[in-house]
Amino acid sequence: MTHRILVSLVLGTAALTAQAADTVVATVNGMVCAFCAQGIEKRLSKMPAAQAVFVDLKRKVVAVEARPGQALDQKTISAEIKDSGYDVVKLESVQQTVAELKAGAKR
Amino acid sequence: MTRSWWLWAALSLATHGAAAAPIGFKDSWMLMTDLGPNWQEAWINHAFTARDAVGAGGVRMKSDDGLRRRTLVEATYTRLLQRWNLPHAQANVWLFAGAGGVRGNDFDGTRFAVAPGLQVDYETTRVYLAATARLYRAKDLNHDFGSVRAGFSFYEVDYDEVQPWLVVEARRMRGLSDKVEITPMLRLIHSRFFVEAGVNNSRQLRANLMYTF
Repeated sequence: MTHRILVSLVLGTAALTAQAADTVVATVNGMVCAFCAQGIEKRLSKMPAAQAVFVDLKRKVVAVEARPGQALDQKTISAEIKDSGYDVVKLESVQQTVAELKAGAKR
Repeated sequence: MTRSWWLWAALSLATHGAAAAPIGFKDSWMLMTDLGPNWQEAWINHAFTARDAVGAGGVRMKSDDGLRRRTLVEATYTRLLQRWNLPHAQANVWLFAGAGGVRGNDFDGTRFAVAPGLQVDYETTRVYLAATARLYRAKDLNHDFGSVRAGFSFYEVDYDEVQPWLVVEARRMRGLSDKVEITPMLRLIHSRFFVEAGVNNSRQLRANLMYTF
């Protein structure tokens, strides 16, 4: 019985590790210049739950990937982007890493 | 260029003329310089909100004939009066307020000076337009300043790439020059730096730099 529980725990943990990352993608109005948008990257990168940040000027979106086991607060993300001088018009959660989103944007 | 020229630029620590936006994001510091033989300007400011910044800076200028010189050192307050964040553009109205002292080589002592100003700008990833007006006033002195800027980027880039722009500025300052200074400049924008360099219609080299930290 104990052996089965341990196996289930190990398999469950492995499944969680393999699961795609929790990433919040924000659509941002006003984001036209990399120099001016650097505040978004800097402020979001300081969030304890943020593992990676990606600013996509062409699509006007910002992606924040959560650290494993941590949750991102969408209200905080929205406030940080506002404090950087921009307006968030849409927030959504996706199961992709920032690296994957970056690779997709380069295509 | 003399050693003292560089020393002054280094010590006097953003210029409204060069700025895409004259303040950074909340809690940031921004350093801006506008350097040329007849006009050297440098500011540093701290944005304590997303719309307000306080700072200090200075302008050193001389007339075209080199006979009159002015040095202004000022405390500044910059306020974003209005911003329009659009899907593919941003437009702003900025207020500048400065107060300090001005010295000159044709009068004695330091005179109290005020320097209020206004800037409007519109920018997309491919187009930049801006107009700035600033009054430089002290007792018996009027060096009001006006500039317009227009530019375009050669192509769009990703956030972490350098984007080249061609920007043309026309500016004039009352009481020091009778002509409009026109400067085509190459602007390079990156997420970490903003630099411009060009040669004006008097064949003088100009350079602008902005850095946020």
